Amino acid sequence: MTKNINPFYNIIISPRIIIFFIFILFLCSIKAHNVYAHKVYIFAWAEGDTIYTESYSGDKRVSNGVIKVFTASGDFLLEGKTDTDGNFSFKIPQQTDLKIVLEAGMGHRAEYLFRSDDIREPVKEEATPETQDGLDTIKKHSTGVSTEELRKVMEEVLDDRLNPISKRLARIEDKKNNSLTDIIGGIGYILGIMGIVIYFRNRATPKQ
Amino acid sequence: MHISEGILSAPVLLSGAALAAVGTAIGIKKMDYDRIPQVAILSAAFFVASLVHVPIGPTSVHLVLNGLIGLFLGWVAFPAILIGLLLQTLLFQYGGLTSLGVNCINMTLPALVCFLIFGSGVRSKNVKISLFSSFMCGFLSVFLSSLMVAFSLFFTGEHFLTVAKLVVIAHLPIMIIEGVITIFCVRFLKKVKPEILEVVYDKKY
Repeated sequence: MTKNINPFYNIIISPRIIIFFIFILFLCSIKAHNVYAHKVYIFAWAEGDTIYTESYSGDKRVSNGVIKVFTASGDFLLEGKTDTDGNFSFKIPQQTDLKIVLEAGMGHRAEYLFRSDDIREPVKEEATPETQDGLDTIKKHSTGVSTEELRKVMEEVLDDRLNPISKRLARIEDKKNNSLTDIIGGIGYILGIMGIVIYFRNRATPKQ
Repeated sequence: MHISEGILSAPVLLSGAALAAVGTAIGIKKMDYDRIPQVAILSAAFFVASLVHVPIGPTSVHLVLNGLIGLFLGWVAFPAILIGLLLQTLLFQYGGLTSLGVNCINMTLPALVCFLIFGSGVRSKNVKISLFSSFMCGFLSVFLSSLMVAFSLFFTGEHFLTVAKLVVIAHLPIMIIEGVITIFCVRFLKKVKPEILEVVYDKKY
């Protein structure tokens, strides 16, 4: 008895069943647009001399997660735990690239590479003492505030304003492209592999 | 349940990779080319299933569907789940490339074991036995997977009992949901195309 070479013979009576399965898959993928729901990730940004980190598992914060900080080459620097809001901050240990690692339990781990050029040293003007004194007194009398105090205030205000922007930037850098695309792409790859295997198998069997 | 990169120690990763390679080789050998579309659809179902999340307390867990896949494919579950895991790693960064072997073993070995134990029960004409076996197949495979994840973490130095309790309890809703899903799929296919369950036994999968 010749084997029926229709590759779909063994799994369907009618195309309805295949359509049923693909429909179920599609329903699941539409609901599952938030691909990050299963991933843990950590963001970090600098304010002044402190690095702040936030740890997430999907949309939730990771509390009591272990944070380890390494140099870019892997030397261990320091360790800590996130609080209940998923935050952990530490003073910048050295002015190099840092690798910040989050271990959230149950086998989940995430890394963030913190670049040292994200930290900018406050610009120090070169000025001779006498002119600086003179300038300071003039400024003090006119505005009531010295250069140093002004600089401090500006840094604080800028940190305040830039904080949410740094956070969003860190998120964007980590996010890959649209996840529905990836889901459909993955299903496509599987069907493609299936097609290739069937093609080569049909070539191998002699046609009757 | 996917273990990420950089957590497990090298011996664990290597043994996982070796076992997964052996299993996949056996699975490919036993694969009947006529049934490749079925393998592909189940692999795609596995791929998408991990995106369906159930929030549990501080974390969230996802569907695994390995019981269902093991029931319909037997040994061929190895290549199906491996391809699903590989694509998840490449596209979503779930799990990792080095831990691919370990993740594959953790999810496929329970599927295989449950297939061997409950396969004949599922095919039986007695409705009660069939229902019970289907539910247990779905339930037990997630349970064993949780234990194997805890095992893998244990060999990397974590305390087994604490991790095991955590993972198993977190996945309890998933176990129940998968048991129910397996029941529905088995009943539907028994009515529509009962040969699917029989073919797996014909060819001595």
